[in-house]
Amino acid sequence: MPLFHGESLGKTYITPVLSHVSLELNEGEVLALTGENGAGKSTLTKLIAGLVHPTEGRMHLHERPYAPASRHEAEKLGVRMVLQELGLIPTLTVAENLMLGRMPSRLGFIRRSEMNRRATEQMAVIGLEGIDPRTPVGKLGVGHQQMVEIARNLVGDCRLLILDEPTAMLTSREIDHLFTQILALKRAGVGIIYISHRLDELQQIADRVMVLRDGRHIDTKPMADVVQNDIVRLMVGHDVSEERKRPIHETGPVALEVRGLGRGKVVRDVSFTMHAGEILGLAGLVGAGRTELLRLIYGADAKDTGEIHLEGSETPARIASPMAAVRKGIGLVTEDRKSQGLLLPLAIRINATLANIKAVSRQGWLRPAVERGQVGKLNEALGVKSHSIDQPAAELSGGNQQKVVFARWLHRDCKVLLLDEPTRGVDIGARADIYDQLEKLADAGKAMLMVSSDLRELMQVCDRIAVMSAGRLVRIFKRGEWTQQALLEAAFSGYLATQAPAQ
Amino acid sequence: MKPLVKSLALLAALAAGAQVFASDTKPKVALVMKSLANEFFQTMEEGAKAHQKQHAAEYDLIANGIKDETDTAAQIKIIQQMIAEKVDAIVLAPADSKALVPVVKQAVDKGVLVVNIDNKLDDGALKEKGLTVPFVGPDNRKGAKLVGDYLAKQLKAGDKVGILEGVSTTFNAQQRTAGFQDAMKTVGAVVVGVQSGQWEMEKGNTVASAMLREHPDLKALLCGNDNMALGAVAAVKTAGKTGQVKVVGYDNIDAVKPLLAEGKLLATADQYAAKQAVFGIEIAVKAVKAKTPQNKMPGAIETTVDLVTK
Amino acid sequence: MEDVSTSTPSTSFAGSLRGTLGNYAALLAALVMMVALFSYLSQYFFSANTFLTIANDIPAIVATSVGMTFVLIIAGIDLSVGSVMALSAAVAGIAMLQWHWSLAMAVLLAMGVGTVTGFLNGAISVAWRLPSFIVTLGMLEVARGAAYIATDSRTQYIGDAISWLSNPVLFGLSPSFLIAILIVVAAQLVLTRSVFGRQMIGIGTNEEAMRLAGVDPRPVKILVFAIAGLLAGLAGIIQASRLEAADPNAGIGTELVVIASVVIGGTSLMGGRGSVINTFFGVLIISVLEAGLAQIGASEPTKRIITGCVIIVAVILDMYRERRRSRRA
Repeated sequence: MPLFHGESLGKTYITPVLSHVSLELNEGEVLALTGENGAGKSTLTKLIAGLVHPTEGRMHLHERPYAPASRHEAEKLGVRMVLQELGLIPTLTVAENLMLGRMPSRLGFIRRSEMNRRATEQMAVIGLEGIDPRTPVGKLGVGHQQMVEIARNLVGDCRLLILDEPTAMLTSREIDHLFTQILALKRAGVGIIYISHRLDELQQIADRVMVLRDGRHIDTKPMADVVQNDIVRLMVGHDVSEERKRPIHETGPVALEVRGLGRGKVVRDVSFTMHAGEILGLAGLVGAGRTELLRLIYGADAKDTGEIHLEGSETPARIASPMAAVRKGIGLVTEDRKSQGLLLPLAIRINATLANIKAVSRQGWLRPAVERGQVGKLNEALGVKSHSIDQPAAELSGGNQQKVVFARWLHRDCKVLLLDEPTRGVDIGARADIYDQLEKLADAGKAMLMVSSDLRELMQVCDRIAVMSAGRLVRIFKRGEWTQQALLEAAFSGYLATQAPAQ
Repeated sequence: MKPLVKSLALLAALAAGAQVFASDTKPKVALVMKSLANEFFQTMEEGAKAHQKQHAAEYDLIANGIKDETDTAAQIKIIQQMIAEKVDAIVLAPADSKALVPVVKQAVDKGVLVVNIDNKLDDGALKEKGLTVPFVGPDNRKGAKLVGDYLAKQLKAGDKVGILEGVSTTFNAQQRTAGFQDAMKTVGAVVVGVQSGQWEMEKGNTVASAMLREHPDLKALLCGNDNMALGAVAAVKTAGKTGQVKVVGYDNIDAVKPLLAEGKLLATADQYAAKQAVFGIEIAVKAVKAKTPQNKMPGAIETTVDLVTK
Repeated sequence: MEDVSTSTPSTSFAGSLRGTLGNYAALLAALVMMVALFSYLSQYFFSANTFLTIANDIPAIVATSVGMTFVLIIAGIDLSVGSVMALSAAVAGIAMLQWHWSLAMAVLLAMGVGTVTGFLNGAISVAWRLPSFIVTLGMLEVARGAAYIATDSRTQYIGDAISWLSNPVLFGLSPSFLIAILIVVAAQLVLTRSVFGRQMIGIGTNEEAMRLAGVDPRPVKILVFAIAGLLAGLAGIIQASRLEAADPNAGIGTELVVIASVVIGGTSLMGGRGSVINTFFGVLIISVLEAGLAQIGASEPTKRIITGCVIIVAVILDMYRERRRSRRA
């Protein structure tokens, strides 16, 4: 008797985004759901979690008809979904977020100590006992926020759990905790639908894998019967070589040099050099200060110490604001593209020309034809999938949104590009496009600093990888010098001497 | 010294009911008005201050106003502050004829004499609290009738006229409308509409324009104050009916003087804003000096209203 | 509606015309229905006279509403417009009466006064990162007080010297109406076709994203408030010209009428979305309603209740329209 049964489910907005998809989920089973961006994974799971209503098909839970009118109703029946977008309230504490809607109270007053105690227990379950439950969620890094979000969904009765890209922001340590927890849930008979692009992860924990493409069900197989390449082929419809070998090539002159950069305890005395035509990776655990370092270079935060030199100049560059950074030829692809990168309700066209509006205007007046031409070319070059360049960015999938952010900096034609988790939530096909683009940019002589939590990705695309740990830049590896083990050791090194990172 | 004075005052108050302890110093009089943004009260305040300067030896004056005409709560607060300030008498132009009665009662209970000017406190409400408060002021209805009668000389029976009323909830607005209506009834003119222009120029203009469109044969607009009359004159001009539609106002503010001279405004009434406060103050000072208790003060003292046509 | 953020411009002229009309259809239909209703209820409503009066009545509100549209688009609000109108009219009135300035100079002075107050609104809220709600609330009081001081709290009768702006010159329309139309057209062009307009929309949508894209939001915001002030100053003198007098009490509560008009026109209070043309329709709806209700002799309480209901219903309808449109996109 399956726990959940969905029969030829479909969802049509203007055009169908999902059609005739059937699936079964047994108790204690992990079903991996994968496919390219826009394949319909999110839509399918949102149907199950009650966030979206199907336009065709039927669902059953425990052999009884199941048609949740809202997420709340689905949750009452034990169906929960951890969304890719964080659903936490940043101003409330970790404990308050965890206990939202079921706070222990007496006579209408919250029993704070009881609430904090329960929250601590809940966090310990996924290995986060180091976080103070009284910390406001907004003060945590994105990785920790993700863990809190997962912990929140494990509170109370949970029979069917949907995890949408849960590891996108997690360090391997945190991932291990998560997987241990998933195994425990399996043993307790919880059915789990696990969406991920990380095929190695799927192989580790999934019982079966289901592949979607263009809103259709392509295949479902036992995980034991497939190898990674099979899945990739099913997803994209053709072979993709995962192991790209970036040619080692001559790098140009110094494009940017950082000397002794610091801000409080977050970034401490960081120095390094970047060359034109080079992709410098920046690895480290969540909270190691990588994003903060990019923001310092970009002038988004004020630095306490240090200097930034551009193009080998001995006079330090004055970069007091992002405006100054952009004027000096530095661009930033933000980690959180929804709140910091894109103007979501506005057209692709508008988002793409934001940083270089001069190129599409004359004396303060826009030149729509010129803009259309330029954005059209960029879209084509980057392979943005959209109806037209007038489509709002909000309607694009994560990968395509990221391509639009890229388009902005290609349009600006800057010399130094700072990339913060550029492939977060981006599927394999779109990732390959982005890697291609990075190489083209490197060939064009741009210097790039790329933060990523995915070591394999860094090892694949970078010329050198710098590793940060506890705010310090501990080591820079050259291509050929690194191994996954060595990179990880460096990432943990800063914490060993003093204390373990908040965990 | 201070506690002694206080206890003496308390003793005196206990001994003589509402008697005020003030005989050995100059009486302190508070003038509490409505909006100082209104020219009428501006003039009133200046008149009062000028009077006090001439009679500096006889009394001290604290003048206060509120932000806008309808901010009753603010006016109540001011009166309470004045009570705390231990003034001997309050001369009040109430923003609301009923809502101010309770705080007037507080003042009287604390031994402060209250004289009512400009807008008459509601008789029923006063009676209920067992209060007598002298009203010093003009008869607005009589004044409006004076203006209306002057206009009537140029009208004949059956002519259509419109009335622009002030804020309809105020006693003055109602009285002036009533006065206009009395005069129109006498001559047999038809009042086709009474609409509120909220005492304001813009609102008056909008309402007057609408009336002129709806009644193309309108002969006159009777306005509850001069600001609305200014708006009405502009509306008449816009409609291209200058001269055909007569406009009258009320209050005789400076801004209408050129209009009267040009004949765009037929007439207005002057109820001597400056003098009203002065009358009130004089009565208050006299009563304080004579130690007249509140309930022995005269009921009403009518001040003059004059027709102004030039 | 002409939605600058997400509309899909058609390539052909006919297509773009159809698109444009479609954008305005709902508001236009509401307007036509109101006119029809009042024409039925009142004998004289449906006449050239009525429409000309309304046309010559609205320029001040139109000018102020255009400024307010810009301010709302950058997710700000300007509560001081009514007071700024009174202050600039007062100063201009004094200049004409006491210093014997010409009308042209007085107009420039009024616009200057408005621009300065608007600049202060913008600069203060940007420099100290204060919500514009608070800063302009302060300016509402400051400008009103200054207007009382300037006029000694007395209405200044200016007379014919200033009436030129409001006297009919062309088919019964006044120069101020023509100026208002010019402002609407120019502002719509600025909003949809200029870099400044694009930056306004961007800042209203996501200020942090704009900053990280290298666009400095501060000068844009200050300029928007300065423009709103300038237009309020111009509105003040238009108002004074229509009434031939500068009243220090003029424009009390105007900010609310203006915000209502802009919101009826579909501009979002949350910023990032709006249209000047639709604001113009919003002003028309409010003023037709006001004129119609006065003409059928509705009592003051009735007028208020009906106006309030119209505002709420209009915004609810706009919300539905917006939802349908974004689903279609």
